[in-house]
Amino acid sequence: MEFYNAALKQLVMWQYELNSYISGTIRAINDESSLSASLLVLAIAFLYGFIHAAGPGHGKALVAFYFTSNKSDYKKAFKMGYLISLIHATSALIFTFGIFFILKTMFRKNFNDFSHIAMQISAVMIMLVGLYLIYEAYHNRKAKEKKVQRQNKSELGVAFSAGVVPCPGVMTIVLFCVVLGQYTLGVLAALFMSIGMGLTISLAGIFSIALNKRAGGFLNEKAYILEMLGASLVFLLGTFLLVALL
Amino acid sequence: MDVYPTIKVEKGKTSSLHFKWVFDEMTSSMLIMDIDSNGNGKIEAKENFFIYANYFITLEDYGFYTHVRVDSKPVELPKPKNFKATIENHRVCYSFDIEASYDISKTTFSFGDEELYVACMLKKEFLNVVGAKAKITELKDDFFGYKLELQ
Repeated sequence: MEFYNAALKQLVMWQYELNSYISGTIRAINDESSLSASLLVLAIAFLYGFIHAAGPGHGKALVAFYFTSNKSDYKKAFKMGYLISLIHATSALIFTFGIFFILKTMFRKNFNDFSHIAMQISAVMIMLVGLYLIYEAYHNRKAKEKKVQRQNKSELGVAFSAGVVPCPGVMTIVLFCVVLGQYTLGVLAALFMSIGMGLTISLAGIFSIALNKRAGGFLNEKAYILEMLGASLVFLLGTFLLVALL
Repeated sequence: MDVYPTIKVEKGKTSSLHFKWVFDEMTSSMLIMDIDSNGNGKIEAKENFFIYANYFITLEDYGFYTHVRVDSKPVELPKPKNFKATIENHRVCYSFDIEASYDISKTTFSFGDEELYVACMLKKEFLNVVGAKAKITELKDDFFGYKLELQ
């Protein structure tokens, strides 16, 4: 636990430094247009995304539980990680530009309201994914041949439910660029940040699959219990999130 | 956000406690859109009151991220006075006073937020302490923050 806390604090320190560095660099571009500085911003955005997603949230627990309850390969983990981060960043982009251009005033208030509703929707979706996984695990024993089709559906559900909440980190960088009139850079920074976030979320999935594979040797006969346990954890995660938000 | 404490100590007790929070530039850009209603780059009296009533005072539930312990027991922070919001170098700043006298040999101050993930940064160069020596250490809690002890 102490190691976990120390790691989280180190992440905060890195984000603090990167946040300051990236804002200084974007402002410098605004003062004097420079390609190398723009590329530097994108590189930092990637790193910032990678570190930012390692903090609380961003669907890592959901991905981990999902891959605990579903036998899968590493490609799937990457696909899921990048799908989540892409939806996460797109949601932030749509929201930022939408609010900035349509409403402009009361920005913060609208963000807080929207964010709260989006989190409630996300929690309900996570619960539904959990219920679906429980249903899938139950029927898996009887209809194994249909599993591939079902899994693809539930993967999209997991990715959407985890990613629908707009990423505040992406939003902050995009808004900062927009305020300074750097629209293209804002969109590109969001893209590079989502690539960094996708890598972190994918790693959480890969770690979970690796654990699942190692456990598989010992618990092959208990696969059904593992699937049910993972699915129930996804459902519980959604329930806890919803209760906390009400 | 960066925390800048300015503390005066007389006869082993705090005689003046002033705090300034400086938000990072990105967060500030969002805040400025909302709080600088006339967009003149300054916070005027009406805007200052709006920030105090709508943003600052709501942080009472979180102890204004400023936690005081006397004899290792938490004590409630008095309501901050003389609140003033400013914009300096594209960054939003909140300043306020805490009108309380604490025995520095028994008191510790800590700055952090357990619930909203606001990271309070306290560096040696942010400190201005007159009449005592200051020691900064990282909080051992499971959230980011710093402890300040005066000797």
